[in-house]
Order: sequence, then C-alpha cells, then structure tokens
Amino acid sequence: MIFSSRMRGNPGLILTICAALLLTLSAAVDAITLKVATLAPEGTSWMKQMRKGASEISEKTDGRVKIKFYPGGVMGNTSTVLQKMRVGQLQGGAFTGASLSQVYPDAQLYSLPMVFHSHEEVAYVRQRMDDTLIKGLADKGMVVLGISDGGFAYIMCKKPLRRLGDLKGQKVWMPEGDVLTEAMFESAGVSPIPLPVADVYTGLQTGLLDTVAGVPTGIVAFQWYTSVTHLTDVPLMFLSGMFAVDSKAFKRIKPGDQKIVRKVMGRIFKDLDAVNRADNESARSALQSQGIEFVHPNRAERDNWESIAKQGRERMVSRAKYTPALVDRMLGYIREYRTQQQ
Amino acid sequence: MYLQHASAITRITLIPLLLALALASGCSSMVARATGNLSDSLSRAVLNQNDPETVRQGAPTFLLMLDGFINDDPDNQALLLSGSRLYGAYASAFVDNEERQRRLANKAFHYGRRAVCVSHNDFCAVIDKPFVTFKEHVTDFNTGDVPLLFGFASAWATWIQANSDDWNATIQLPKVAALMDRVIELDETYNHGNAHLYMGVLTTQLPPEYGGKPEVGRQHFERANELSAGHNLMVNVLFAKYYARLVFNQELHDKLLNEVLASNTEAPELTLSNVLAQQQARELLEDSHDFF
Repeated sequence: MIFSSRMRGNPGLILTICAALLLTLSAAVDAITLKVATLAPEGTSWMKQMRKGASEISEKTDGRVKIKFYPGGVMGNTSTVLQKMRVGQLQGGAFTGASLSQVYPDAQLYSLPMVFHSHEEVAYVRQRMDDTLIKGLADKGMVVLGISDGGFAYIMCKKPLRRLGDLKGQKVWMPEGDVLTEAMFESAGVSPIPLPVADVYTGLQTGLLDTVAGVPTGIVAFQWYTSVTHLTDVPLMFLSGMFAVDSKAFKRIKPGDQKIVRKVMGRIFKDLDAVNRADNESARSALQSQGIEFVHPNRAERDNWESIAKQGRERMVSRAKYTPALVDRMLGYIREYRTQQQ
Repeated sequence: MYLQHASAITRITLIPLLLALALASGCSSMVARATGNLSDSLSRAVLNQNDPETVRQGAPTFLLMLDGFINDDPDNQALLLSGSRLYGAYASAFVDNEERQRRLANKAFHYGRRAVCVSHNDFCAVIDKPFVTFKEHVTDFNTGDVPLLFGFASAWATWIQANSDDWNATIQLPKVAALMDRVIELDETYNHGNAHLYMGVLTTQLPPEYGGKPEVGRQHFERANELSAGHNLMVNVLFAKYYARLVFNQELHDKLLNEVLASNTEAPELTLSNVLAQQQARELLEDSHDFF
C-alpha cells in the first residue's frame, strides 16, 4: 500500500520502474533456459548426447541459451509433458515419434508396421521425408531440433514363432493406447493385452504375457530377455525419437542463437543415428550370447507376415489418423529404393 | 511405443564401487595365510588409511606380490579371491584411464571366477549360460561360501562397470544381482551389509516408467545404513547419486551428501572408503544445481 500511494504521486518513479521492468524483460530474451523433459533415463545415449549438445550450445551462445533436462519421466508421461509445454512450465521434450502423434498424427509415419526391411531403406526415406514431418510439427507449434533412429522392434516369445499361425493363442503385449500395434495384431487374429511398459517385466514373470516386442537395447535394459527364449528376426516396426521445442519459446531466442541451437542439436541427433544403431547391434549380439535363439522365418513365411500387415494397413492408417498421401509417398520411396537395388 | 528412449541405454553407470567394498573383509586373513602377519597388517593399514594417494601409489606393489603368490599356487582359492578383490578395488577406486580400468577389472573378474571354480564345479559350468539356467545354481552356495560368493559377485560388478559401453557386459547385471540376493539370504550382515549397497545401486538404474522400482532400492540403501551403523559413508553417497537423482529429489540428495561431509571418516576398516566417499559427495554437491 505504501508503495502504491507513493507511486501514484510520482509518475517519474513509475516510468523508472517500467523502464527497469522492460530492461529485465529484454534481458530474459537475451538469456533463456529451455526446460526439456523426456522419458529417456539418465545414462542413456540419448541423455549423454543431448547433454553434450546442451553444453556446446551454452558455450557457443556465451551462456545465453541453456537447456535444463528432466530425464526418466520425472515430469510425467507424454500427455502431461505436452500439457506443461502448453502452459509454459516446460519448453520442450524429447519424445518418441509415436507419442508426438498426439499432436501431429503423421509424426509416427515411419512406424507403420513391416514397411521397412533395413536401415538403408529407412535412411533413403528419411532423407526425403524428415522435412515434411518437421514442417507438419512446425504447423502445430513445435520446432523440431532433431529426429533420430530408435531402431527396429522385434517380437520375442517363450517359444519359437516361425509362422504367423504360431501367434495364435499367445499372450501378446501391446503398449497401452498403441493403436498401430493393436490394429496389426488384430489383422493376425490375435487380441493383444494392453499394459503400460512398467508392468511388462512382471507380466512376463507371472505368465500374464508370453510375447512382447521391443528394440534390442530396451529388451536388455528392461531385462525382459530373462523371461523369453526366442527372437523372431524380422523387423516389426521402426522407431524414432524427436527433440521438439515449443515454437513460442524458441522465438524468444535471438535469431543468431536459434541458428546455433538448430545446428548443434541437428548434428547431435545425426550422431545419435549411428550411436543407436551400434547400440542395437551390440544388444542383439548380447542377447545371442545369453542364449536367446534367433528365429529366421523363411521367405514364404516372411511374405505372410508382411501381407497381414499390408491387409491391416488401411485400418491402421485410418485408426492412427495418418495422412494417406504421406503413407503412399513413403511406400513409393521404399519401392523406388528396392527397384534401384535390384 | 516400443521404448526407443530407454532402449538406448548404452551404459548402466555403476559407480566405481570403492576399495572398501572389496577389501573390507576376508582378504587380510587369507593373504596372511600365505604371507604371514606382514600382509595382514598391510591390509588393515590400507583400509584404515586416511590418505587415498598413499594407497594409490602403494597398492600396485601389493598387487604384483599377489600375482606372484598366485603363480606359485594357482589353485589356492584364498589367494585367488584376494587377488580378485584387490584388483577390482584398485581398478574401480584408483584408475581413471578406461583402458587400464578394463584390463585390471578383467583380471579381478578372472581371478574371482577361478576362485569360484576351485570349489563349485557345477556353478562354474553355468556362469556363461542363459540366466534361467544360471539362476538354478545360485543355491549351490551356502553360508560358509558367503565371502567367496560376495567376492566373486563384486568383481563381476566391477568388470561390468568397466565395460559398461558394451551390451555384452550390461546384459550380465541380473546374474550379479542374483548372486548378491543370495548373499543377503545367507548373511546380510557380511562386509558391513554391503550386498545391500550393491542391490541399492542395481535396483535404482531404471525409472518406474520402465519397470524400475526405486523404492526397493531405497530399502536396500536404508538397510545398508543400519547394518553398518551409519559408519559406512559410501552408503549415503550412492543413495544420493542413484536413488535421489532417479526420483529427482534434490532436497534428499543434498541432505544425504551434507550429512556425509559432516561425518567423521574414522571407522575401523572404513576410513579409506569414507575419505573417498567425502570426495565424491563434494563433487556430487557441486553438480547438484546443474542436475536438478
């Protein structure tokens, strides 16, 4: 009260305070800390690389741009993180392509089941389509600073799954709310059991589940391999990771610094492609060394798996709300690549 | 979706499990059998040393001495176990160069493996087998085997830590956990309750989102504190570093570490480890603001 009465009587003081406030505000624009949440646990390649990028950015912008990470899901699940980004409590996140599909369905375009046979095919498509996804997310208010390979997911089971028919009667896990996996297994005549990732290990131990899918590094890190015996060596789906920042927050960074942030994080995520691929290779060999048997379905059986995925594709495209034209474009590039290889 | 974030764990960062973890028991008396009272006194002097640098510089002589004894008596289980402990402890506590650390940890692991194989043929045959087979043989160990079991398991943990960029190493962690669990079943008080300390670290590697159970880890840390009557300062350092950071609890993190810094380091067979614990507590506190 004392302050307000004094201020009323002293316009000069009010002006001074306003000027000071403006200065403070402009200082805030000069120096910004982006708070970024992720489910990636500390100690992972993702965290190590992103921290490396953050310290390089801080150094190159003379401390004007800092990135503070909240790893391991401490800020909640994806929906919570997105909500916190909307209210400005967080400025960004490192997400899976699938989880960003809440904002922009095509973010999980590359995860359509059984469309890719190899990393080379993925690289060919990504070179031609990453920019489209980045633009799609930009239209939804997200600045994507990097996209990275997360690897191929494989099916693992307590018995060898050679034929599609072997899946019948299996207790198959699907990540809760994952419409793609649900649609794919439905096409194969199987009703998957929805569970959060956190419950899979126990589910395998208690016999609630006997069939799961994951990338090799995940299967090792979460110790699921201790309860299964076979891995069907056919890439089930490709996974990606994305580092996205709220565009309003990003615009508060000075243009010159924006360039630095994009350049450094872009490079870091490119590096992650190679790191993650090597990690997954190493994890595959570790699984073999621990006695997990790799099952290789023959050509005819593999075609069978793919044809089921193909049959269900329309359902997946509509259920996952993909843009059909983008799906066609991706499939076109894959055909193009395969023709070139023949 | 299918876990690509967590999937990218390249390195489950077990902290260097310090000298005291490996040295604190058994070793002195075993070496004594071979080398008499001199060695016994030396081991005790190492554990009670309050200047880590003295140990860093002096330990290699001791290691070479043990290599010599083992060469002369290659199936002497007590000597093999001592060699395993000393090499493991030295590698994790005093060697920064990664390549050297791997080399020394490798030696620790292989001495430990040889020690186990002297008396436990069936278990020896399943060390590299799939986890399910391995686990069936964990009960081959009984109360009298606890020093051997704990020594081998801790050397294995050190080896995994030194090779943590290699998934072929990381994948062996559940086997170490199974052995430490067996130690706890047989005699949880052994070595100041350090099997609980290992289990605390092993169970605080994954966030709950991926099936991790930090609260189980917390219970292990708390039990390790009880069993060492609060004298083992390394417990609270690892409690802060693994549990408090995993659950993002800065208040607890800083409180535990400040307690370590305010504690007396002198304790029988724990002085060296406690001095190192304080060094690490200081480093973690300095990094606290950046992490949280």
